[in-house]
Amino acid sequence: MFQANTQIGDYLVDEHGRKIKLHFDHGTTTLGFKFQGGTILVADSRATSGQYIGSGNVRKIIPITPSLLGTMAGGAADCTYWERVLAKQCKIYQLRNRVHISVAAASKLLANMVYQYKGYGLSMGVMIAGYDKKGPGLYYVDNDGSRMPGNLFSIGSGSIYAYGVVDSGYRWDMTDEEAHDLGRRAVYHATHRDGASGGIVRVYHIKEDGWTIISEDDCTDLHWRYQDEKMASSSQ
Amino acid sequence: KITYFQSILSYNGGCVVAMKGKNCVAIASDLRFGVQLQTIATDFERVFEVGPNLYIGLPGLVTDTQTVAQKLQYRTKMYEMREGRQVRPQTLMAMVQNLLYERRFGPYFVEPVIAGIDPSTNEPFICAFDLIGCASTPGDFCVAGTCEENLFGMCETLWREDLEPEDLFEVISQSLVNAFDRDASSGWGAVVHIIEPHQVTTRRLKCRQD
Amino acid sequence: MSSEPYSFSLTTFSPSGKLVQIEYALAAVAAGAPAVAIKAKDGAVLATEKKHKSILIEEHSIVKIENITNHIGMVYAGMGPDYRLLVRQARKIAQQYERNYLEPIPTTQLVQRIAAVMQEYTQSGGVRPFGVSLLICGWDNDRPYVFQCDPSGAYFSWKATAMGKNYINGKTFLEKRYNEDLEVDDAVHTAILTLKESFEGQMSSDNIEIGVCNKAGFRRLSPAEVTDYLANIA
Repeated sequence: MFQANTQIGDYLVDEHGRKIKLHFDHGTTTLGFKFQGGTILVADSRATSGQYIGSGNVRKIIPITPSLLGTMAGGAADCTYWERVLAKQCKIYQLRNRVHISVAAASKLLANMVYQYKGYGLSMGVMIAGYDKKGPGLYYVDNDGSRMPGNLFSIGSGSIYAYGVVDSGYRWDMTDEEAHDLGRRAVYHATHRDGASGGIVRVYHIKEDGWTIISEDDCTDLHWRYQDEKMASSSQ
Repeated sequence: KITYFQSILSYNGGCVVAMKGKNCVAIASDLRFGVQLQTIATDFERVFEVGPNLYIGLPGLVTDTQTVAQKLQYRTKMYEMREGRQVRPQTLMAMVQNLLYERRFGPYFVEPVIAGIDPSTNEPFICAFDLIGCASTPGDFCVAGTCEENLFGMCETLWREDLEPEDLFEVISQSLVNAFDRDASSGWGAVVHIIEPHQVTTRRLKCRQD
Repeated sequence: MSSEPYSFSLTTFSPSGKLVQIEYALAAVAAGAPAVAIKAKDGAVLATEKKHKSILIEEHSIVKIENITNHIGMVYAGMGPDYRLLVRQARKIAQQYERNYLEPIPTTQLVQRIAAVMQEYTQSGGVRPFGVSLLICGWDNDRPYVFQCDPSGAYFSWKATAMGKNYINGKTFLEKRYNEDLEVDDAVHTAILTLKESFEGQMSSDNIEIGVCNKAGFRRLSPAEVTDYLANIA
């Protein structure tokens, strides 16, 4: 019998059909945005290897310090390892300097670490989010060594769907509840459309006094809840 | 533009399982139609009625699913008119083998599964094929599609001999749903047909939507 | 050949609407050696006369009753060589069917398809109709079947019938003797008696042939078995 024994991402091909070494931040939906009330991070919880769903309740939002969070997309091992190294560095920074590290500095530590391994095949697409004396912070860092600040990022195979929802509903002056709902909906829609995203939608909120878990909902519960809302609003 | 490619058989996703019971058979499939990881539709039926007590599931590349379904419909209807009788499960098996082997060197990318009851003997029948028409007729269950391995595991665990129709429904449903919940490219709803000599019960299952 | 004029089918309608070639073919059949078929309760019987042109012929080197599948047999009245072509075709059709559907061809299907072949030869260019009528008997669906197949492509299902030389006498005899409760042994008997109606000379296992079909399949009786049946008649 013909057998599919390839892994997602085995064949990355450019427009000339050449195989190229490039990573797709696959098998994930992560979302982060800043707004008036702080920074929101949302992620799904599915881990896939190829077609197979290895786990349905992964934590893709990782605490680095009580006011810093990192997201993971790409290689799970790479992300967890380097964000743990980052957590160690941040703690050492605090002990040495008696101040919390800024989001800018923390993200740059990570970017510099992975840059040293550029070309060795690390696979990471992460957001570093937190709150420091400049206010809410959000940075994108990847395995190429890229690092950039921004108001809104989404990473992973489901990011295209999440962007679609967030872009159509985003306002700076949202209330906290509106922001949580927007993030949750965005990632839920991504889990529905993207085969490699799913499980639990976890919403984190980072304010001046650190991060909190806002909600952790099963995608399917959200699906039927949103479905009911749709039915109710369309029947009016 | 960056593209990547996996097996053509799992391009659209989808899976089918068939099981024997006591004087009954069941066939069930998921309802997803996707393109690689993108879910396009969640109401795509890949199990087709061939006769009053005869169904065929066609997991694989969806364009071929539709082509094979149509070609089989043509052949079975011609047979019914020519011979003035219903196609038996065994006969359908032979027809599918021929249809697939005719394309030995440029195959249809489907792995069909048949479930039915012989109209003359009331004997339950299931069988499964590879994409070029090698049939196997096991005594317990047949699986095919993107989560074939998962389905094998579930069926090996849950299937028992002489299942009554209600129990068969439970076993096949649990096998299917729990198998495709561990598969990124099938799921998003399921349909189950329980076939008994004088009735067919079709149910849709409420499933995870991620 | 198609460049020559009048190379179209020999079977062209006459002004009166007849296809005379087919009628000539039927005449060839009516002049052929007699053949009889009888359906019994538990089987079917074929029988035919097999007279030899010379006493020097090795009698059992020639057979007229042929197996098409395990459960279908066939005999003819008319032209032997044409018959053998049809036997070949019939066997091919039967095997093709079994290859397609993994089950033995039903007798009705075989008859339909042979009839289609015979019809084709009444409408194609460069050919002539077959100079034979066939008697086909088979067993499927737990019951026997007897069919006749004519050069025109027409086919009929019979309880009992006769064809070839003196077929009218044969049929009249069968009409008198036939009844629905006949068993295979009785049917063999009746078939022999029907042949005897027009038989000239002494009947023996050298000059008649008998085929029997039942649940177990179709087979041609051995000369010894034919001799036994003949002995019972006398």
